Amino acid sequence: MADIHTGLDSPRGIWWKPAHRNEKLWVTIAFAWCMVLFAMMPLWHWKGGQNPSGIRRRVEPAAFYQRTQEFITQYRVGEDHGIPIVAPPPGSDIYLAAMTYQWTPILKLQQGAEYTLHLSALDVNHGFNLNPLNVNFQVVPGYDYGLRVTPTEAGDFRIICNEFCGIGHHTMVGRVIVVNEKGEEVTRAGGQP
Amino acid sequence: MADLPEVPDPPAIPLGQRLFDNVFLWLAAGVAVMLIVYTGWGLWEVLTLPQATLP
Amino acid sequence: MSATVAFRTCPFTGRKIDPVADRLTQANAVLAVVSLLIGAVAAVLLVLTRWQAVHLLNAEWFYRILGVHGMNMLIFFIIFFEMAVLHFTSTALLNARNVAPKLSWASFGLMVLGAGMVEWLMWTGKADVLFTSYVPLKAHPLFYLGVILFAVGALLVTAIFFANLHVAKRERRYEGSLPLVVFGAATAAIIAVITLLHGAAIYIPTFLWSLGLMNVDAQVYRLIWWGLGHSSQQINVAAMVAIWYMLGALTVGAIVLNEKISRMAFVLYILFISMASAHHLLVDPGMGPSWKVVNTSYFMYMAVLASMVHGFTVPAGMELGQRLRGFTRGMFDWLRRAPWGDPGFSGLVFSVVLFGFIGGITGVTIGTEQINIIVHNTLRVPGHFHATVVAGTAMAFMAVTYYLIPLVFRKRVAFWGMARIQPYVFSIGMTIFTMTMTFAGSFGVPRRHWDISFSQAPFSVQFSPAVDLLLALMAIGGLLAATGAFMFIAIAVVSVFFGQPLGELTPGVAVAGVPQGLTHPPVHAADVDRRAEELQATRSIWGPAPGTMALVFVFLGAFVVYFFVNWKVLSFVWKIG
Repeated sequence: MADIHTGLDSPRGIWWKPAHRNEKLWVTIAFAWCMVLFAMMPLWHWKGGQNPSGIRRRVEPAAFYQRTQEFITQYRVGEDHGIPIVAPPPGSDIYLAAMTYQWTPILKLQQGAEYTLHLSALDVNHGFNLNPLNVNFQVVPGYDYGLRVTPTEAGDFRIICNEFCGIGHHTMVGRVIVVNEKGEEVTRAGGQP
Repeated sequence: MADLPEVPDPPAIPLGQRLFDNVFLWLAAGVAVMLIVYTGWGLWEVLTLPQATLP
Repeated sequence: MSATVAFRTCPFTGRKIDPVADRLTQANAVLAVVSLLIGAVAAVLLVLTRWQAVHLLNAEWFYRILGVHGMNMLIFFIIFFEMAVLHFTSTALLNARNVAPKLSWASFGLMVLGAGMVEWLMWTGKADVLFTSYVPLKAHPLFYLGVILFAVGALLVTAIFFANLHVAKRERRYEGSLPLVVFGAATAAIIAVITLLHGAAIYIPTFLWSLGLMNVDAQVYRLIWWGLGHSSQQINVAAMVAIWYMLGALTVGAIVLNEKISRMAFVLYILFISMASAHHLLVDPGMGPSWKVVNTSYFMYMAVLASMVHGFTVPAGMELGQRLRGFTRGMFDWLRRAPWGDPGFSGLVFSVVLFGFIGGITGVTIGTEQINIIVHNTLRVPGHFHATVVAGTAMAFMAVTYYLIPLVFRKRVAFWGMARIQPYVFSIGMTIFTMTMTFAGSFGVPRRHWDISFSQAPFSVQFSPAVDLLLALMAIGGLLAATGAFMFIAIAVVSVFFGQPLGELTPGVAVAGVPQGLTHPPVHAADVDRRAEELQATRSIWGPAPGTMALVFVFLGAFVVYFFVNWKVLSFVWKIG
């Protein structure tokens, strides 16, 4: 450590020198930690249950809207606050459209069943936030995000829009109902019918 | 005219130090890496997405 | 042929200072403080609205002021200050001249014009699109043009920075390599070029789209915009680290442990830090997992390695700067007996600690591809970036200003008693603010949202009662931090425009309004190289900087715990793939 100087000084001569033992130790440990940080992502893709991979496609908003309407007509079982409630069978492709300022339809799903949830926006960017679990995805107009989801618990959930979409942004709330394995609706903290 | 004492040549600056001293090299490298790995690859991903079949 | 420049000689450091560069540094710093003032007023209005019990602004004004706050703080304040840093580091630190005075002033003018246009349009409600202006949300065309003018001005200044460096080398204004602080500034300038190129690439088409002349795809917009939006914050990181090295040197004679290691860390920033723009796109439909994993990891976390290197070398350099000047007792005496009354020093320490512990740890964690699922667009995102940009970068910028006021403006710092406590007020406020905001976000509380009581929504939503408490505490922390910001602004404005000239200073005599690093410069003894050899030869496993070694392991421990707890929390939500 000869040629002591500060960061404001121009270092003279050769400064391309090996580091002190302790500095090298820290850099090695930091590098190892960086490798752990990196490895977690592929590892979770391989072994973990939550990945934002999905089946991703381009789509015309008008086409997505039409498909959603067909989906609603096919599986409609009721209505709440003017939004249709649909009960699609497990394993099916299900559709959720975001528009200023509503989410449609209300999905009635079964605990433990897998669905391919197609998310798209009809006008501007919206944010899908499943409350209170806290699951979040970006909903982009012109794109179909097909996420394979399995609800792990029954309940009455809310979808909060968390991407600014205009003056009515904070009124944009949707609903997702998950019935338990017996087919019963369950009320839980964080959502009321 | 008298013999002058031999002055050894100063040690050569290591290649690493000379490379690091070249700010313009790193400007080019930084821009290139970003344009390829983030922007170029990202655009390719978006623009080659297939059309939805809406099953 | 070098131009005739009437250099002045700095009375503290003996360096040759170009008066043109002086004035450019000053002008940009003043505009930075003006933007900070607007942004800070906006901050107060915003926290008093998200505090649901107060709910000060109506919806329209909340979203409007939110855009004003983002634009003024993240773009105008930070970039004007960085222009000052670029002018200063490429001239004063090298005894060199500004090679293009007219172009420098023209660029400044462009930036002021652009900023003014954007400001006007935002306040008059013609650009209610927030700072990100995501297409298809549409603002008045002049909004986009204003941003373009600002960005062009800034890009010209980065070109002048590089030209200054090139000419300084050619005219042999300095011997050897660039000082580390200038190398750090060059890192910031390179990232600025990357940032501004993406800015041009997205704002020009978007400007044309706002005139109805072309289409802009919503996903492509997000991809390119974040090449500007997140990278602009990485300029901040590089500039902040450069300032850490500078403040360490000025306040306690901090040394550079190893130039190769510190410069390598800056090179890792140059190559890899900008790709983390992908952090914002991890749960977007347009890009696939490989792209997300490679980019969000700053290429296998190499830029995080760089931050962890600086996180060691900056405090270790300070510790050795102290130990070499005689503060050798125990593990932390060097820290206990450091100049805590010098706002340049206390601000530096707060910046390093809060940036690292709160900003860095949360940022790497929430920027993990899968963990982002429980984070995206919740308050965890602004919770993180207020720790990095505000508690980290803005604090460092404020701290260095206490030295720039005497060095560049040649005035005494006004309200010296208040200046000495300002970093504490600001940093304690920011600590409370960022931690409560992050915690509220983990309950799913959305960012950029006017009403989480959802009083006008069709379905009711009940957040945990803890959320109301957290948002109230967040407001209190925010108000305390804003107080710290207003203190700084008052000090800066009064010092610059009405301050006492420096006058004659006797070395070794403390003077109110002049930080101790200038009256009692932390010079090293003549035998410093021998002292360093002794320290380096220590047999202790902690090494020559034991205090820093202990602190970085505490940091690593916190990092490991926070990181894995988040994976556990992720595992509880629905299966998604």
